[in-house]
Amino acid sequence: MSTVAGIKYDENNRYHRFARTVVISAISLSLFFLVWWAVSIIAIKPAIPTPLQTWNALVDVYLNGDRMTGISLGKYVSSSMMTFLKGFLLALAVAVPVGLILGYSKLLRDFANPVIEVLRPIAPIAWAPIFILSLGYSTGPILVVFVGIFFPLLTNVVFGVRKIDPNWIDAAKTLGASQLQVFYKVMMPSAIPYVMNGIKIGLGIGWMCIVAAELYATPLGGIGFYLAEQATAGNWPGAYAALVVIAILGLLTIGVADYVHRIISKRMGMAV
Amino acid sequence: MSQEQDKEQTRPESPAAALINIKNLRKVFKRDETETVVLENFSLEIGKGELITLVGPSGCGKTTILRLIAGLTEPTSGEVTINGKPCTVPGADRGMVFQDFALFPWRSVRKNVEFGLEIAGVPKEERREKAEKYIKLAGLEKFIDARVHELSGGMKQRVGIARALVGHPDVILMDEPFGALDAQTRNIMQVQLLKILEKTDQTIIFVTHSVDEAVFLSDRIIVLTKRPASIIEIIDIPWPRPRDRADPEFTALRKKILTELEEENVMNN
Ligand SMILES: Nc1ncnc2c1ncn2[C@@H]1O[C@H](COP(=O)(O)OP(=O)(O)OP(=O)(O)O)[C@@H](O)[C@H]1O
Ligand SMILES: [Mg+2]
Repeated sequence: MSTVAGIKYDENNRYHRFARTVVISAISLSLFFLVWWAVSIIAIKPAIPTPLQTWNALVDVYLNGDRMTGISLGKYVSSSMMTFLKGFLLALAVAVPVGLILGYSKLLRDFANPVIEVLRPIAPIAWAPIFILSLGYSTGPILVVFVGIFFPLLTNVVFGVRKIDPNWIDAAKTLGASQLQVFYKVMMPSAIPYVMNGIKIGLGIGWMCIVAAELYATPLGGIGFYLAEQATAGNWPGAYAALVVIAILGLLTIGVADYVHRIISKRMGMAV
Repeated sequence: MSQEQDKEQTRPESPAAALINIKNLRKVFKRDETETVVLENFSLEIGKGELITLVGPSGCGKTTILRLIAGLTEPTSGEVTINGKPCTVPGADRGMVFQDFALFPWRSVRKNVEFGLEIAGVPKEERREKAEKYIKLAGLEKFIDARVHELSGGMKQRVGIARALVGHPDVILMDEPFGALDAQTRNIMQVQLLKILEKTDQTIIFVTHSVDEAVFLSDRIIVLTKRPASIIEIIDIPWPRPRDRADPEFTALRKKILTELEEENVMNN
């Protein structure tokens, strides 16, 4: 990748870097589709539709909605998005303050750590049947998403508070800051980039959780429901079309989070 | 080089007139079975308006002395007082300048300098005015809205100094403030520091590894032993400023202190 069409690649030129990324990604994705296509042709199994069959199913559900339930794709997507958003906001509202406090107080951290370490290894998806069957189809999936986002977010916030340069705290103290002022004028702002990083990681996990949770959530729909329904009916191209939608939604969410993270880190004067 | 009379008058001789009184200070760091005695029976008086430097071997306890005066750490026994009040907690009467600047990267230059004023509850207009004055004094008016990471090391430390000066503390504690800078920038910063201080009556306690810097800046140099730090010698330098580093008196004094420190390092090894 040094000379293309007579133009020498220049690492220091942003357009060149961008073009490089585009070209490499395009080659990578083309290869992926090629392999997928080859596998589906060779296997000749209905469970592995070709990319074209998947595309057709995607167009069909986009234009005509779910032929089995009559629900539109937009409705499925917005239903998943709402569940996702609620779980995410709940996680944010709980993990950030708790993380700030646990990062700040060693006593509370030591107190909470055993419980956190016991709960953390449980896959968020493992909570799905319990939450959904005990709390219902609307609250259950929200809580599954909450659990998925909560722990990575919490860990990052705690880490962010603890990674604070102790000199910043000393500097603030010598400028007259009280403990409380040190907390909200130094610890909180300096933890923001870590909060954003936690959000980024949490969002990715959140999408895995929502789909898994919706596999159970029959009456309320959602893209995970559509996936399960299509697979159960043996409509494999439809199931694959659902996977494509999930992938795109996940990419979009993380892209937005990444963008916000970069802007905030820059504003906070921290390297990304 | 003689302004001895003037200086003698401004430098108080009796403890009563001293601004800072360090008395029988003992500081021990203890962890499990290991005890590090950093200070043992350390006493020193510092007068108002003095610029004193502490020089001594690495690890002898210079930073610890500054942190004790700042109130960032408490003595094991003994006491430090400023204006007769004990320095057990930090206060706006003692500012500090850090070797690695310790600026807040999420704040602009202006907002860094305003930090102490915000804490003190100074109204916004007055805050801006004061910060601007000190930023100008530090020669940074062009960078007033810049972020910290856009500044060079020398500029960062000028922000650090402006931030410490703006609240007008009685004492400014400077822990190797120019230690992270290259030799050339360092010399420039020393001249600028003296220029800034000309306009104030603040007391400076300055820690440095550079004997050259100490002789260039100080009213008094406190030469310290290895840990636990005790005073080898207190050297008065009544010479006028700016000082000429090539002056034979200057070089002779520098050499004398360097020899003392070398001997200290060789001893008990
Ligand atoms: N919080 C602490 N806990 C344990 N030991 C400490 C602590 N702070 C300092 N010390 C020890 O006290 C001694 C003096 O430290 P101090 O930082 O005051 O030395 P210094 O003269 O400033 O050294 P340098 O010239 O390298 O900056 C060192 O041996 C150091 O290891
Ligand atoms: Mg030190």
